[in-house]
Amino acid sequence: MEKKKALIVDDEFHIVQVVAIKLRNNGFDVATAENGSQAYDLACQTKPDIIVTDYQMPIMNGLELIEKLRQNPQTAAIPVIMLTARGFSIEDRLQEQLRVSACLSKPFSPREVLGIIEEVLKGQNVAV
Amino acid sequence: MKKDQFIWIAASAAGLAAGGAAILAAVLSGSVSVILLAIVWLSIALTGGMLLHHIHQLKALERVFRVGSQMKIPFEIVPGSVLGDIANAANCLLDETHQKIRQMQDENRDLMLQMQLLRRRKSGIEAVLNSIQDGVLVTDDKDRVLLANPAAQNLLGFEFNKDNACLIQDAVNWPELVQLIVKSRQSKIPHVRHELSRQKDGRPMTFDSVLSCVEDDVGNVLQIVTVLHDITREKEISQMKNDFVSHVSHELKTPLASINAYAEMLVDGEAQDAETMRQFCSVIQGQAQRLSRLIEDILNISRIESGLVKVSRQNHSMALVIQDAVDMIVSYAQEKNISVEAPAPILYDQVYIDRDMISQVIINLLSNAVKYTPSGGQIAIRSEINELDGTITVTVTDTGVGIPEKDLPYVFDKFYRVEANNKYAKGTGLGLNLVKQIVESVHGGSVFASSTPGKGSTFGFILPLAKAAAAQMVS
Repeated sequence: MEKKKALIVDDEFHIVQVVAIKLRNNGFDVATAENGSQAYDLACQTKPDIIVTDYQMPIMNGLELIEKLRQNPQTAAIPVIMLTARGFSIEDRLQEQLRVSACLSKPFSPREVLGIIEEVLKGQNVAV
Repeated sequence: MKKDQFIWIAASAAGLAAGGAAILAAVLSGSVSVILLAIVWLSIALTGGMLLHHIHQLKALERVFRVGSQMKIPFEIVPGSVLGDIANAANCLLDETHQKIRQMQDENRDLMLQMQLLRRRKSGIEAVLNSIQDGVLVTDDKDRVLLANPAAQNLLGFEFNKDNACLIQDAVNWPELVQLIVKSRQSKIPHVRHELSRQKDGRPMTFDSVLSCVEDDVGNVLQIVTVLHDITREKEISQMKNDFVSHVSHELKTPLASINAYAEMLVDGEAQDAETMRQFCSVIQGQAQRLSRLIEDILNISRIESGLVKVSRQNHSMALVIQDAVDMIVSYAQEKNISVEAPAPILYDQVYIDRDMISQVIINLLSNAVKYTPSGGQIAIRSEINELDGTITVTVTDTGVGIPEKDLPYVFDKFYRVEANNKYAKGTGLGLNLVKQIVESVHGGSVFASSTPGKGSTFGFILPLAKAAAAQMVS
């Protein structure tokens, strides 16, 4: 069976690494990026099955990345999970508008991330 | 003898003398008619004398009433006489008038005193209104401006002329405020509070406005008093605090997220060999230290600000302190392929400092320079002695993204972050504030910064040399 492809985006090296290791250990092909701009270019090239992105990043943040993905027909349908360490969560209205599949607050559990990714890929939006 | 008596006597005597002479002449001449005439003449003389006397008294009375209260009746009152009654009435009237005049004089003195007190109070209130920083505006029931203190005139950009009251709509170019004043007058609500915003000199400003309605006894609006309190800075501070909490939350949660995630990976057996396990533990340790440093920074700033920090000062060579800091940062710079040039050692660069604190200062400046300098850039750290002032200046210059001019005055403020540079690197906005606190509050020096967007920045500090500092301590 073809491996599912995941793109992990976070400017924190260790966060990217821990999620990448978890997913690789569970059968995923993983690519990583450290900001939204890099992630967008990679998404256009590799067409991942799922993207896990941080919110607050330099150059292009998570929201800006999703907006750009949704504007491009080639990447518009890729499900996105947002990780956020900000003091507030993304508004429901905005989540819906940008079709964010799930939001997770840091500190998060890699176990939980894997679980949510698997559910999203099964075709369900997850309320967290 | 009084004058009026004399006149009466003189007139009567003249008449009597004439009459007497006439009667004598008549008697001597034996003429009856002449005698009768003489008698009549005598009577007329007597009456005329009396009349003259009364006329004189009336004139005297008239002078009393005309001249004033200090005069007294200048003749004796003959009881039962006509003029005596008039004189009595006049006396009563005069007494009453004297009393009323004294009363009015007393009331006049009281009024003068009250006027003085009111004038003093008015001066005091005017002094208060002229000196307070809040704008105070008073408008009447027709929306005319009755009063505007200097703060209000400056804020609203008009000159108040009390001799030429104009409508608030014509005086002030702020439709939101004008509408509020008009609505307040129409609604007659005693006190209304609103937050208002406007642009002044290209800067957004926020005001807490309180409008009070002054009414008369029957409920008619007399005045609307508007007080404008500038809360722009408070709002900015509140926003910075919110931003700080948000940033600090992120900064604290990020290492925590790593610690939590890697610990869970260890528990779940995701570290498939010893080396991976060691790496996971190393990350946990590193992130815990990072968290600890952040908390320490926050606490240090707080301690310095409250004067509770422990300072341990000794003479140190600034060149050596700089070299140690460069050694700590050089590997971070190398990861981004940035070169760091340290100064050649110079003689007599001893400074009387807390070494750890000044090291922290230089590390913070170098760390910022690396953070905001793109790959392949350069950083140079220099020191220069000013023998005249007895000071040493240390500068860190980079070829980084630079800082917009409008942000430069605020870069050392607590929590301040240059918005334009957020996309290049993150931070709490505490690093430069800590630099400022250590250099200025603890060591009596000064900090400075200059920059050209797109070309680079120079940050630096000036400290007194050890001899000067020691001399200061002794004095």
